[in-house]
Amino acid sequence: MTSILCPEIPKPGFSFDNCQRNATLESKGFAVPKATKTGTTIVGIIYKDGVILGADTRATEDTTVADKNCEKIHFLAPNMYCCGAGTAADTEMTTQMISSKLELHRLFTNRVVRVCTANQMLKQYLFGYQGYIGAALILGGVDSTGPHLYSIYPHGSTDKLPYTTMGSGSLAAMAIFESRWKPDLTEEEGIQLIRDAIAAGIFNDLGSGSNVDVCVIRKGSVDYKRTYDEANKKGVRQASYRYPRGTTKVLDTKVFTVEETVHQLETESMDTA
Amino acid sequence: MFLTRSEYDRGVNTFSPEGRLFQVEYAIEAIKLGSTAIGISTSEGVVLAVEKRITSPLMEPTTIEKIVEVDKHIGCAVSGLMADSRTMIDRARIECQNHWFVYNENMSVESCAQAVSNLAIQFGDSDDDGAAMSRPFGVAILFAGIDEKGPQLYHMDPSGTFVQFDAKAIGSGSEGAQQSLQEVYHRSMTLAEATTSALTILKQVMEEKLNSSNVEVMTMTPDNFFHMFAKEQVEEVISKIS
Amino acid sequence: MSLSMEGIRPHYPDYSNAPMQRHFSPYADNGGSVVAIAGDDFVVIGADTRLSAGFSIYTRDQNKLFPLSKTTVLGCAGCWCDTLTLTRILTSRMQMYQQEHNKTMSTVACAQMLSTMLYYKRFFPYYISNVLVGLDNEGKGCVYSYDPIGHCEKATYKAGGSAGALLQPLLDNQIGLKNMEIIGDSKLTIEKATNIIKDVFISAAERDIYTGDSVIINIITKEGIKDDKFELRKD
Repeated sequence: MTSILCPEIPKPGFSFDNCQRNATLESKGFAVPKATKTGTTIVGIIYKDGVILGADTRATEDTTVADKNCEKIHFLAPNMYCCGAGTAADTEMTTQMISSKLELHRLFTNRVVRVCTANQMLKQYLFGYQGYIGAALILGGVDSTGPHLYSIYPHGSTDKLPYTTMGSGSLAAMAIFESRWKPDLTEEEGIQLIRDAIAAGIFNDLGSGSNVDVCVIRKGSVDYKRTYDEANKKGVRQASYRYPRGTTKVLDTKVFTVEETVHQLETESMDTA
Repeated sequence: MFLTRSEYDRGVNTFSPEGRLFQVEYAIEAIKLGSTAIGISTSEGVVLAVEKRITSPLMEPTTIEKIVEVDKHIGCAVSGLMADSRTMIDRARIECQNHWFVYNENMSVESCAQAVSNLAIQFGDSDDDGAAMSRPFGVAILFAGIDEKGPQLYHMDPSGTFVQFDAKAIGSGSEGAQQSLQEVYHRSMTLAEATTSALTILKQVMEEKLNSSNVEVMTMTPDNFFHMFAKEQVEEVISKIS
Repeated sequence: MSLSMEGIRPHYPDYSNAPMQRHFSPYADNGGSVVAIAGDDFVVIGADTRLSAGFSIYTRDQNKLFPLSKTTVLGCAGCWCDTLTLTRILTSRMQMYQQEHNKTMSTVACAQMLSTMLYYKRFFPYYISNVLVGLDNEGKGCVYSYDPIGHCEKATYKAGGSAGALLQPLLDNQIGLKNMEIIGDSKLTIEKATNIIKDVFISAAERDIYTGDSVIINIITKEGIKDDKFELRKD
């Protein structure tokens, strides 16, 4: 039974319908479209009162910048956020899908969902696709057992760590953490450390750039600081590039007159029976 | 010079105790057996005139080529062993083409002379390049050309030495001709004057009677570059001098 | 992150009968962009100063402009080791020409020589985008651009290197005045050309990851070569 009000619900999971066709096209020399990759710096630390996540905002397509201010810190649950690096579509869809599963889980159990649950769901999902889902994630959150921070690799392996980095700028960012991270940092110190780690990625890794996004998760509250720091200012133009009116050639003009007709409708009395 | 003749004139690379290279000097002497060639450089252009020795009435005079084109803007007159001159002209042509190919500009007359000079001194023992020539070339060359410095005349002898001249004569009649050139040459000479002077002097030093088939005349001007005189043009000049 | 999805097929050399393949990759792409604009009696050339490989920056301060004579400058982008070799050979060829012919090589001659030098390596090319600028024999500004194997094209403006394809249409419109109905009669001045080069690099730094840090500009007039520097974003 399909109608406008009740559409047929599509089957869950991926559709592999075009796989055979695409393989044939590819073997005949058709250029396969490339997926957008987020050459990225994403980081996370545990501090005194919770978890802080950080990310840059550049998305790249090969050597060109595709998005100068994209969001890489994704919402999972009110007490959990997740940074994504790798294939942009994979990180977005994976976090959205897990997010809805976590909400169902919360309704089912009537408890704040634990971070280890989200970790287990993500790793099982990614492992099932054997690395073909190119999502490298940093999962952070606070639950009844305290703050937790995980890094999750595309093939499904995970690490539970006090501070971690991922993406093409991970080495630059880790250099900052290795020299300056210590247990029980204050929130102010933690945010500054995150900013500096992301900035290291932005400046020293060509795949990362633009601004710094920060997300602080404490027990019972979240502070998502979008564009916490604008690390790079765009250069100031020397000249004006405004075109005078009429610069673009009008090739042809056609005028259509629209005829308006008004129909008077009979008023219908309300059914009061 | 032949008084000091000794064992030192065998090898081309052997200096005599007085510091002379006899083979090179002999080669320079060989030029003096060659036909006379005269070159005069003026502000309007350069003129080259050579005599052709018609040793037999059965000979076809037009097949003797003593003035040749090296590139559009460089021509040369030769005196001495004609066979040797072919090798040197080939080199000059190749160098000019190579210069154009690499730099997209005309080779200067001096550079062309330099390039041919490099070939002229390659006599002696063989080196890395392979077999060397066993003797110096028996040829003297007059290069006439136009480059960014204007009309130019260069003379080169078998030793590879090249010098710029306002007017120069080579070949059997060169001594007398050079004397006459010094008398007639002046800075404000026109090309037409230079052409008549060249033929007048050639006429004086030639054994045979000067006519339009035993002489070759060429002018090199900034407008027309290499221009070989046709028979009628030569006759016109000859008619003016006698 | 370049964790690519394509072409992942497990390969077990011990169980494979396929012939072993070896390959040799002698080239690196070190990025960089060059932009040149010629005027009636001047020419301006600019190159960014970022030298990079993959996702790393080698240096933020590398001059990619090479003055070859008082009136000729070469801008190079691409494989940096090839650039080093080519420019060293070029300077020595300039000196040899000076000594052999007793004059400085003209821009036109240099343009032709570069073309033959590149084509000489037709089957093992210098992997460089070259843009040669200078004043010609009449003192007019000129720009020559090359492909890696020696094709030479004379132009009045050119963008080359990693952001070349991004910038050329912008120059076509602003300098070539293409696709415009109303064209002001403003003559191209040194100041205008320099400003456009700066602005064009600001745009390139926005979208090309291999262009950034700063631009070095050379202004060539009959008085000589003048230097200018301009900062770009550093991410």
